Amino acid sequence: MAYIDQKKYYTNDAVAPTDLNWGSYQYVSLTDIVNNFLLMFDGNHSLVNNEERYKILFHAKRGIQELNYDAFKEIKSLQLTVYSDLRFVLPSDYVNWVRISLFKNNTIRPLLENIQVQSALSYVQTATASFTYDAEDNVNRQTSTLDSSRQDGSLNSIYLNQANLDQNNNTPYNEDFYDTFIGARYGLNTETANMNPTFTIDKKAGVINFDSTMANEQCILEYISDGMEGGDNSLITLNKLFEEYIYAYIKYSVLNNKFGVQEYIINRAKKDKTALLRNAKIRLSNIHPGRLLMNMRGEDKWLK
Amino acid sequence: MINSVRNTVLAVINKNNYGYISPSDFNLFAKQAQLDLFDEYFVNYNQQINEENARVSGTGYADIKKGYEEVIDSFSVTANLAQNAANVYTLPADYYIINKVLCSSGGLFKGEAERVSQSKITLLSSSLLTAPSVIYPAYTLENNLITVLPTSFNGATDISSQYIRYPLDPKWTFSTISGGAPIFDQSQADYQDFELPIDDANDLVSKILQYAGISIREGDVYKFGQVEEQMQNQQQ
Repeated sequence: MAYIDQKKYYTNDAVAPTDLNWGSYQYVSLTDIVNNFLLMFDGNHSLVNNEERYKILFHAKRGIQELNYDAFKEIKSLQLTVYSDLRFVLPSDYVNWVRISLFKNNTIRPLLENIQVQSALSYVQTATASFTYDAEDNVNRQTSTLDSSRQDGSLNSIYLNQANLDQNNNTPYNEDFYDTFIGARYGLNTETANMNPTFTIDKKAGVINFDSTMANEQCILEYISDGMEGGDNSLITLNKLFEEYIYAYIKYSVLNNKFGVQEYIINRAKKDKTALLRNAKIRLSNIHPGRLLMNMRGEDKWLK
Repeated sequence: MINSVRNTVLAVINKNNYGYISPSDFNLFAKQAQLDLFDEYFVNYNQQINEENARVSGTGYADIKKGYEEVIDSFSVTANLAQNAANVYTLPADYYIINKVLCSSGGLFKGEAERVSQSKITLLSSSLLTAPSVIYPAYTLENNLITVLPTSFNGATDISSQYIRYPLDPKWTFSTISGGAPIFDQSQADYQDFELPIDDANDLVSKILQYAGISIREGDVYKFGQVEEQMQNQQQ
């Protein structure tokens, strides 16, 4: 594979998408990784020998997945409107979330995760507490009252302690006006107090559940993926700072699973891998004077 | 080379009037001897690699492995494979070892297919990470047919192969007989010399003598061929 010229880099030779190659030089492709490994680290005189290519491919992909989980810091963002069902379906390449924000009035407001249960299954029950079943002998389900109360806004929240108001939002007749707001405007639990909507992620269901104040609002999900690009091998890439690490990772993974390899060789491969990961993480963290200076500027700020 | 090999063989077995082998017998023995030596190249090549790994092999003119590689590569052929069904292709009739199966689509090279055993292909295909893809195709072998995956490789010229072919059958040819003996004529259409290098002539003579010795029931000829071969092997 040859390097691309600058015209192709900037314009992709006028073939859509013309921005295809922008920034591509930072990355090395999966094809290059597997080719280079087979060429340089596998063979008659190498520690790795007679391994099927699919095993090398597997370990290369697994290494890239692992790097995507914590080392790459390649965070994807998706903005969607949350409608009245108060759900945000997780993206198809979602692995874990980084931050969930409400985008309102041109302001990004990071949201708090609700530690309380926000959604539940519910079975249809008869008056005698027994269940009913459908034609395939599965128990009949219904929307839980937890879900319905969350969706209609009647679910009380520990995140914004509600004032003790009546159904018309007035102070109840037998309550002192100030007592009404104890625990709401006064005596808030500052650990959980937040006027923004809250959310809970239902991983198995593949949705983020919000409280009712999120209805018809814009939500920005920042998340990480595993870098597998929907299974398209030609799109899988790796930052060049991790190139040496991925070779070490593949080598270690192959040797570690091979019968009869001496323990000292495995340990050497393991140390290589660990040291290279550390180096790559330091490189990627991009500590340079400009950033340090930026952080140090904040140290004189007065705390009020 | 074939004529000199035949002359040497005849010279040895004619000594003490042991016997005579006809051109057709010689051609049969020559074919068998060449195949034996051809096989040995692969065994010897592997042995050389082991010696290199054990650091008992040299470089430059002492690089014996390189010589073996050159001989094996002289039998290398790259050719399109004939399509048998959608993604099924027929292997060439003269292949000894399939070295590479190359996959193209629309005339553009896409990737080299990896041979996967029948016992693994189902698991491989159902694996998210390693399922055969356009960049990393795979193939399985059944009879003389290969099935290439993914099935998008299904064009008549999509699959080519680089393989090592069997050497052509040697044929010592003649057109006239003089004094009861056939006269060598290499201008015949079916003439075929040995395809192994000249330095294999001694080995060919030894091998053919062994076959000839059995044919004419002369144990001495057989033993002579065997001893010669052992000596040559030791020298190597």
